Amino acid sequence: MSLTFAGGSHHTVPIELRERLAFSAEQAADALDRFRREFPGNEAVLLSTCNRVELYAAAEQRQGPPPPDELAMFLAECRGVELAAVSSVLAGDRGPAAVKHLFSVAAGLDSMVLGEPQIVAQVKQAWQLAVASGTTGPLTGELFQAALRAAKRVASETALGRERLSIPSVAVADFAAGVFERFDDKRVLLVGAGKMAAETLRYLRDAGARDVRVVNRTAGRATELATRLGATAGRYDDLAAELVAADLIVSTTGATEPVVTLAAFAQIEAQRQGRPLVVLDLAVPRDFDPAIGERPGVWLYSVDDLGQACEANRRRRQREMPAAWTIIDEETRRFMGDLHHRSTVPVIEQLRAGWNETGEAELDRLFRKLPDLDEAAREEIRQAFSRYAAKMLHPPLASLRNESHAGPPHGLLDALRRLFDLKD
Amino acid sequence: MADFISRISVVCFAASYAVGLAFEATRLWFRSGVRGVTMVGFVTAGLLAHTLYLVWRAATVTALPLSSAFDWYLLAAWLLAAGSLWMTLSNPRTPVGLFVLPVVLGLIGAAELSSREPFPQSPATQTWGAIHGSFNLLMSVAVVLGGLAGGMWLIQAGRLARKQAPLQGFRMPSLEKMSLWASRMTVVAAWAGGSGFLSGMILNAVNRQRGLLEIVPWNDPVVLRMGALVTWLVAAAVISRLLSHRPEGRRVTALLSLVSLVMLTASILWGVLGPTQHGMPPRQPAVAAPLAGGAA
Repeated sequence: MSLTFAGGSHHTVPIELRERLAFSAEQAADALDRFRREFPGNEAVLLSTCNRVELYAAAEQRQGPPPPDELAMFLAECRGVELAAVSSVLAGDRGPAAVKHLFSVAAGLDSMVLGEPQIVAQVKQAWQLAVASGTTGPLTGELFQAALRAAKRVASETALGRERLSIPSVAVADFAAGVFERFDDKRVLLVGAGKMAAETLRYLRDAGARDVRVVNRTAGRATELATRLGATAGRYDDLAAELVAADLIVSTTGATEPVVTLAAFAQIEAQRQGRPLVVLDLAVPRDFDPAIGERPGVWLYSVDDLGQACEANRRRRQREMPAAWTIIDEETRRFMGDLHHRSTVPVIEQLRAGWNETGEAELDRLFRKLPDLDEAAREEIRQAFSRYAAKMLHPPLASLRNESHAGPPHGLLDALRRLFDLKD
Repeated sequence: MADFISRISVVCFAASYAVGLAFEATRLWFRSGVRGVTMVGFVTAGLLAHTLYLVWRAATVTALPLSSAFDWYLLAAWLLAAGSLWMTLSNPRTPVGLFVLPVVLGLIGAAELSSREPFPQSPATQTWGAIHGSFNLLMSVAVVLGGLAGGMWLIQAGRLARKQAPLQGFRMPSLEKMSLWASRMTVVAAWAGGSGFLSGMILNAVNRQRGLLEIVPWNDPVVLRMGALVTWLVAAAVISRLLSHRPEGRRVTALLSLVSLVMLTASILWGVLGPTQHGMPPRQPAVAAPLAGGAA
């Protein structure tokens, strides 16, 4: 009863090779089908994302699943990649190390963006695909359930996945949402069509923004962008009026001079009637004069401001790593303890069955000798025998359980088999 | 059951709130999956004990229920604790308890320093007394909520101005929400404070006219401080309204609300520690001995 894995990730496998090794859902299903034929009696789950390809295998039999190098060869063959090209970059492990690796992957500790939450969904999808392909079993079932539990603990007990790392997400969630309670009654103005505009708008839409205007020096580009983003296009000549109506501005033009100067803003400031204004100036060079941010009721953030907040978040994530690894270690120990305990189940069942059988035989003999016993007395005697058996079996079973925490209790199991004449 | 309720003391619910506050304060240092549930559990237990205690007081005091200074402070604390619990449940990521529970504990402390004797009453003035007390209670709760909203607005605005991401586990409400609370509570506090003061004057006038109870003089410290507080609250509401369409209006409203809270705190401390004739029994027997006779 053991586990192995083999594969590679962004840590060791260059992107060109990762692309060649990556499995689509159909290819993964075919590979699992082939695995079932080539390694009957083994369980397998294939995890393939843009940053990693890993095959996890498990077997209940004594000889165990295929070793990591055989799994790596299997992966290479499935994708038609020559083994020589991948042998130095694919790696693997077995037993507790394999378990710990999967738990750390599921918790995002092995991800390119530390603590990213998407990996949990990808691990779930890999498991579901393996279930559909019929390559799962009790061992991989418990392994992946435990992996998801470890990931959940890391997410809830540490702040690893909570700090946002992209500029648009920080801009919306940490700053714009600090000013506004809701966005469905706010006017959002996109000035320019820079690459971060669409992504920022996506976060604003998620936060509830509905009323979005797009202005651009090139009217056609504004119309095209507005159509693509489900917004309405405005005229660049009406920028002053748009500034008056806006509550939140995302500016991403390629202009070399400020698009809105302090003097221009001062002219429209009174018309805004004191409404707060959030400006996310994501352009380089900046579109808004930084002095506008000093005006009361204006919250102006440049790419540098947001970048610093992102960096601070990244450092905070890094500080959570020791706590996250402690959880992974705890969950690995717990899982391995359970796994080792599982291997003792057949011996325990045989032991109990043997004691019960002997007890029943002795009871029958006793009841034949004492035919005058009523049913209540017989029941009392039965229960006494049962309690006696349970008490006698408790010490060896407790020893087995304790030994299981440290590793497979092969010595104790052999001793029990020999002492009580149990079959292997 | 009655025996159980009668054994609930102020220490029971004050300790529950204090433990709840301690759990809430740990937000600043570390994350925990069970902290929120534990904190809510302690505050809920405290609120339950607090409720039972007030019910027991109302049922066992022979005068108008909850009509002593002690009960008045406990009732204000109860309203704020209930509000804190509700806001915590509806916004679990916002550290509401960290701001409200210290005020709740402060009011319980003020209650402990106050008289448990019911304010002197006669059937003729009982209604005005109840109106006066209720408006003052509403004013105090509104000032506390408005002041806390103003304080939170300033903290959040400071964080946004320094361009810092929110602290872990310490996500403040938006400026928009806090601004709305602060301005609404400023108006409610001004109306309730004005109505409370007016009803107090009427109560005093009825007492004077009928010669029933002790008259509170105009220069009584309580009258002076309440008059000053109400004047300030009305002025704050007017200033807040006048500046509502100016860019600096929200910051001014937040500051005014916070100052109102400071003034209320000073007023309570003065009231607890200073001399007054307000709410005192008559120094000489009343003319018609109305309470003993049962009718005016």
